[in-house]
Amino acid sequence: MQKTPSNLLKNLTWEKVWGLFGKYSYVVSFLGLLLIATLINPLYFSYANLSTLLLQASIKGIIALGMAMLIICGMIDLSVGSIVALVAGLGVVVLNYTGNPWLTLLFCMAFGALLGSINGLLVAFGRIAPFIVTLATMSAYRSIIVQIGQGGPFNVDSEILPWFRMIAAGNVWGIPNLALIFIVIMIIVGIVMSRTKFGRYVYAVGSNEQAARLAGINVNMIKIMCFTITGLLAGISSFLLMSRLTSITAPNAGTQFELDAIAGVAIGGIAMTGGRGMIAGSFMGALMVQMIEGVLIAARIPPFLNGLVKGIIIIFTVLLQRRKANN
Amino acid sequence: MILEMKNISKYFGPVKALDEVNFTVSEAEIHGLLGENGAGKSTLMNILGGALAPSEGQIFIDGQLIEDMTIHKSNALGIKFIHQELNLVNDLMVYENLFLGQELTNRAGMLDRKTMVLRSKNVLERIKVDIDPEELVSTLEPSRKQLIEIARALLFDSKLIIMDEPTTALTNKEIEILFEIMRSLKSHGLSIIFISHKMPELFAICEKYTILRDGKFIDTGNFKDIDEQKATNLLVGRSIVDNQQAKLKVTTPVVMKVSGLTSKGFFEDINFELREGEVLAITGLHGDGRGELSECLFGARRVDAGTVTVHDKRLNLGNIRDVMRAGIGMVPRNRKERSIIKDMSILNNLSIAFFVAKHNKFFIDKKEEVERFNRNQKITDIRAGNIDDDITSMSGGNQQKVIVSRWLELDSNIYILDNPTQGIDVGAKFEIYKLIGELASRGKSVIIFSSEFMEIYKVANRCLVMYEGRVNAELFHEQLTELNVMYYATGSNKEGINAKNTKQLT
Repeated sequence: MQKTPSNLLKNLTWEKVWGLFGKYSYVVSFLGLLLIATLINPLYFSYANLSTLLLQASIKGIIALGMAMLIICGMIDLSVGSIVALVAGLGVVVLNYTGNPWLTLLFCMAFGALLGSINGLLVAFGRIAPFIVTLATMSAYRSIIVQIGQGGPFNVDSEILPWFRMIAAGNVWGIPNLALIFIVIMIIVGIVMSRTKFGRYVYAVGSNEQAARLAGINVNMIKIMCFTITGLLAGISSFLLMSRLTSITAPNAGTQFELDAIAGVAIGGIAMTGGRGMIAGSFMGALMVQMIEGVLIAARIPPFLNGLVKGIIIIFTVLLQRRKANN
Repeated sequence: MILEMKNISKYFGPVKALDEVNFTVSEAEIHGLLGENGAGKSTLMNILGGALAPSEGQIFIDGQLIEDMTIHKSNALGIKFIHQELNLVNDLMVYENLFLGQELTNRAGMLDRKTMVLRSKNVLERIKVDIDPEELVSTLEPSRKQLIEIARALLFDSKLIIMDEPTTALTNKEIEILFEIMRSLKSHGLSIIFISHKMPELFAICEKYTILRDGKFIDTGNFKDIDEQKATNLLVGRSIVDNQQAKLKVTTPVVMKVSGLTSKGFFEDINFELREGEVLAITGLHGDGRGELSECLFGARRVDAGTVTVHDKRLNLGNIRDVMRAGIGMVPRNRKERSIIKDMSILNNLSIAFFVAKHNKFFIDKKEEVERFNRNQKITDIRAGNIDDDITSMSGGNQQKVIVSRWLELDSNIYILDNPTQGIDVGAKFEIYKLIGELASRGKSVIIFSSEFMEIYKVANRCLVMYEGRVNAELFHEQLTELNVMYYATGSNKEGINAKNTKQLT
């Protein structure tokens, strides 16, 4: 048989196409979105634009990576935005007191991990649904930092500010620092999830908790680890946010980060029911959430409707996933 | 009503669950439907009830062809299905359950509580059950819940009632009442399809029988023309292969000792020993605490008292991983819920327990995984297309072979198999029996939890029969008969009535 294009097409059954689309749906949607953006603004597809996109998506994107891990594990964390506010607020205090960025970063990571592990412990040992636990801590964490700041902002001291803001504003060989950090963390989380036992267990717990337990997996430990890692990533995110904004207003910092993270995970092709999906997908998903904002501005759609669009996207992707699961 | 099901076939993917089955029930007839688990009884009845569509074949009722049977249509025709599992809403009252989905309303569209309670009371009196219609279902004993299911079928005009093992949860006295009700229904012209594994009951209450085996129609006739031996032979089909290995009395050293094991509310004071190379079956009826016992032996459920020792070392029953490392592997029951990780590939499903107990490296090596799969494929004869496909793409039997391999890979000394042949086809069943034999001959010990007599007879050296959470009898292979097992599983020895009396109940 000759290898003509028509033969190749014949072998490429709809089933295969559908299967590939299912696995790499996030690539397809990314390309689609890029096409739309380029149609609206022909100059969109440029290095400057794409690196800005990465930079803008990075702070929330790092959280989306943790959220992806949690959702694959069958959990969810609504408190990430409040963790960011609490960690960043106190992070500014630590930074101003010590003047040491490394110590501050360490504090942010450790404190974020602690807050995340509280979520995890309550879910695992309190046997409360993750959505309830993190709804409660979302309110609690935010309230603590608003009280500490008495509603006002936490400002980075003026003598520290000039060099501290360069962490987020700087670049290496023309690649923004934030984008680099985002990519490095994505690769690490991606390897952990695809190449280690821990990653395998996360998928197993999210797919069938009962079977995972009966295969000897310490299910509670896996859940707590996922929450802790997400908290730690939110801590890193807080540190970067501090550098980018240099002023943290407790009532506003990190608001709706959970929405953007969950939206990114959903468009990234990760099953909202757990057990399925790739970290690379949530990376692309986080970029797409950012792109959508850009597209809405370019298309002159009022920015107030951002939330509506993201809401629709979450519902729509979940409906699509359901259809796929039923097929 | 005259029911005729003609040439019914049903395929589930590549599996042929029913193969041109014919089934006829006449008016005012109690018809026993017999078959081993997996013979296709439930599938056939689900087709009649409209829950499943047949792949081929026709259903005639009173000579009329019924096309596209649905649950609704079947209900409207007066066919009522009393399921084996209880389908009651615990948080509603008895009468609310009886009328669930078919509530009576008054002219204003409000629920007519008074009439519903009254009618419930009447139907409960009719079946001589002393239950207040306004009692909450959650407060009732399981056996009484079963009676409510039966009452529900009688509440509305039915012409044909399907009873799927209705007696498993009932006491002897309640069975007696049930049989009386069945006879009175019959005298009113109703037909009943009675599904049961208990021969004495079938012979006591049914006139006609139909036997299915491996999805095929085998025989139909009158019970008065056959005896239990003949029925069993028809049921099992193949003459039972003499398994020499199972006949041996095992006298090797004890590897596992269970003493005074108790889990409150499920089982109490379980004692037994397991020897090297021995296959021990544990059987009983629904609600005997067997399932919970299997979980406790594997450290998957809290134990209130008692110990398990393996090679004289006490097992930490609080941690599954410790149990696995002590050399115990377990294939759980309900493959779909407890074994299969549905979003994972065939390969990953096989590897998962190995990672927990034996894998010490940081990264996963795909090459090792593939080698592991190939090794096991030879042993358990897994038939798989692409090993990176989801496990759900395989047939049930092959899925189970992957799960068995998951545990073989740990090279445990003791294997706990909880209902390992549930929902798999006959071919795969026999391969698993063969595997059990091979394990035993290699000096591994096996505890198999099963409710299928033929299965136990084929593989086990010894059998413990449980009744109400206790070991009621220990039977060696030469004492293994279906009657014997049933006698102890129903606790007949404890009630002071022997099995023959159960038969004479009528």
